[in-house]
Amino acid sequence: MPKKDQYILDRPTGRTLRARDGISAIAIAIVVLLIVEGHSIRNSGEQMGDGVQRTVVLAVGRPAGWIADRFGVDDDVHRLTASLSPDASLGTAGSFNASVAAGGAQAAGAVAPVTPDAFDPASLGAKPVVIPKLSTLLVTGDSLSQPMDVELARRLASKGVNTIRDPHLGTGISKSALVDWGRLSTQQVHKDKPNAIVFFLGANEGFPFKVAGGGSAACCGPAWAAQYATRARAMMNTYRQTGAARVYWLTLPFARDPARQKIDRAVNAAIYAAVAPYRAQVRIVDMTSVFTPGGRYRAAMPIGGRNTIVRMPDGIHLNEAGSALAAQIVIARMKADFASLQ
Amino acid sequence: MVFPSIQFAIFFPIVLALSWALMKRQWAWKPFILAASYVFYSAANPLFCVLLAAVTLANQGAAKIIHRSSDERVRRGVATLAVALDLGTLGVFKYYGFFAQEINALLDDVGLGLPLPLAAIALPVGISFIVFQAISYTVDVYRRLIEPASTIDVALYLSFFPHLVAGPIVRAREFIPQLATPRDPSNVAVGAGISLIVIGLVKKVAIADYLARSVVDPVFGVPQQFHAPDVLLAAYGYAVQIFCDFSGYTDIAIGLALLMGFVFPQNFDRPYRSLSFREFWRRWHMTLSRFLRDFLYIPLGGNRGGKLKTARNLMITMVLGGLWHGAAWGFVLWGTIHGGALVIENVFRERLKWSPPAWLKWVLVFHIVVLAWIPFRAPDLSLAWAFVSRLGDWGPPTLWNFSVVGVIVLVIGLQLLPTKPMDALRVAFEGLHPLLLGASLAAVIVLTTATVSSEGVPPFIYFQF
Repeated sequence: MPKKDQYILDRPTGRTLRARDGISAIAIAIVVLLIVEGHSIRNSGEQMGDGVQRTVVLAVGRPAGWIADRFGVDDDVHRLTASLSPDASLGTAGSFNASVAAGGAQAAGAVAPVTPDAFDPASLGAKPVVIPKLSTLLVTGDSLSQPMDVELARRLASKGVNTIRDPHLGTGISKSALVDWGRLSTQQVHKDKPNAIVFFLGANEGFPFKVAGGGSAACCGPAWAAQYATRARAMMNTYRQTGAARVYWLTLPFARDPARQKIDRAVNAAIYAAVAPYRAQVRIVDMTSVFTPGGRYRAAMPIGGRNTIVRMPDGIHLNEAGSALAAQIVIARMKADFASLQ
Repeated sequence: MVFPSIQFAIFFPIVLALSWALMKRQWAWKPFILAASYVFYSAANPLFCVLLAAVTLANQGAAKIIHRSSDERVRRGVATLAVALDLGTLGVFKYYGFFAQEINALLDDVGLGLPLPLAAIALPVGISFIVFQAISYTVDVYRRLIEPASTIDVALYLSFFPHLVAGPIVRAREFIPQLATPRDPSNVAVGAGISLIVIGLVKKVAIADYLARSVVDPVFGVPQQFHAPDVLLAAYGYAVQIFCDFSGYTDIAIGLALLMGFVFPQNFDRPYRSLSFREFWRRWHMTLSRFLRDFLYIPLGGNRGGKLKTARNLMITMVLGGLWHGAAWGFVLWGTIHGGALVIENVFRERLKWSPPAWLKWVLVFHIVVLAWIPFRAPDLSLAWAFVSRLGDWGPPTLWNFSVVGVIVLVIGLQLLPTKPMDALRVAFEGLHPLLLGASLAAVIVLTTATVSSEGVPPFIYFQF
């Protein structure tokens, strides 16, 4: 018997059906998914950045959400499968929504008092407050915090620092439908009790904010920046743990895309505005002028005398070398605050 | 666009229904599937479609010239040029940054300081798979194994979305004949297709991503923070993760193709039951193995020419196979370990009169495979070494729990068991009524979706290759 040609492929053995049976099976799966996951499809579309994919997902997601609303079984299914979810329950404390509901604005005519926490002692020529030991470091944010988080962890492992890496990819302070950073930061502090927090986030910003009174503030004007700063300030306050911890909040190096640069500029301005009451414990670590001096994007820069690529091809993120440099700068700043690192 | 995504869940049912509706009108079906495949690819970056089209046209042009010419020098020259263009494309996109940086460092060290320009070049998704398939088409025409197909058939072969971004590496002579006649709508392996999609989803979302999150990523990221038991768990965990991630993708790809009436070659066959490295490479990424065999090992001389030359050819093939995964020394070391193991195995097979018991062979092969995954996964060689050196530092485990250990044992254990019970289960599933097949698919999607974090499904590991 001649040897069979290995490049002539046989269909799998077993039962075959008509193509219409295959389409029916897929259609049944779709109907079940529309009923059970309709809300998720709609939510996913709403959380996507502008573009064709968002339009398509929303074109399906909105009617899918409507169908799910009619049947009302999705909550039951999600309750039944909740134990499988890797996401920790965030509770309600610290929610951004609560601050919007409360108005978030200063009463007319009232001026918030300036406290000593608004001043970094070093900037006044006073003796800096040095914490003896850095025992637990939390490195968090969105995809920008990677791989800087592992760089920090590796470099600090020999100093006895327990580094907790908690990146939340695809999230943003202006994108709280996916993760409410107000709640998440509260939960992180409650769970890990870090005495230093490195925060690097901003690759997914630019979504409109809901403002008190039911309106919305679109990126990237003063109203949007003010909302962003308010939320960032709330998080800074949570992370600093009434002065017990130090926070290292990284500004954004500009992205290659001019449209994104506009968002980056607004985020950076908001960060500087947000930190004002907490300069004693919150350090703004300037990544903007390191990676994009003069506001100009560059993929490569000199490191140790050698021209080195520091950005990912997407023109947003830092690559390994860029992250290593960022980690080095953060550690240099931390050394002033923690005796065990000196 | 990844398979386990909402975008694909919208895309595929529409394409499937229209594909079968147009199947009898091939003049309409082919442009439709071609357009759908380009839409699928453009979701990553529309510019990549230009590259895909350029690779297609260049190889088709070369194949036509090779076929028409009777002058062997012309045929060989054009084939060489086409393969050089394909490899050049791969080189620019995949290896330029790595080599520019390494060469600049070398020039600096010897005081020449003539830096090559650096650029952060975006790696087109699936470029390695596309280029390998293009080479297979051109070379098979040159070898007179196939005749040049029509341009639209070649474009479909290279872009057909189920295998576009991460294989399996389908050979032109496997796929193009399937385009010759419309697929038979009364003879579709619906049950097999859906069962493969279900298995693939479970492997990728419920197993691979779970292990990555729970044990592999934390330990490989900062091995210095962990003691030997956790490091050991991460090593086994990665062996299972990469198998479930890659074979899960392949299962879904083959299943989607079956629903559309197409057959792809098998890519994995329980690799962790192998008793030798030769067997491992017949079970792991089988379509890459046979590509390397047909287009590299055999042209180098294969096992003709004596033991030394065979060993050399094996080493070259495996090291280049490692480098195919990416521009990093870890991949080179991974290929070197496998090449070295194959060479040593050949020597022992010829010289040793005694054959070790099967369990000992399995233990040896499995653990060398696991060891080789460490430089493959570690971000660089220094971290691979840091990972291995932690194996000597015993301390309390922090990541061991019933579900992580259970999943690792289950996936490896299932590969060691006889196939009959699993086959019987699969056949029973495939025999379900289409409505039940659909409901089962939906149930698995709902359950696996519940295991996905709010950040979504991470990309498949092999997307980066």
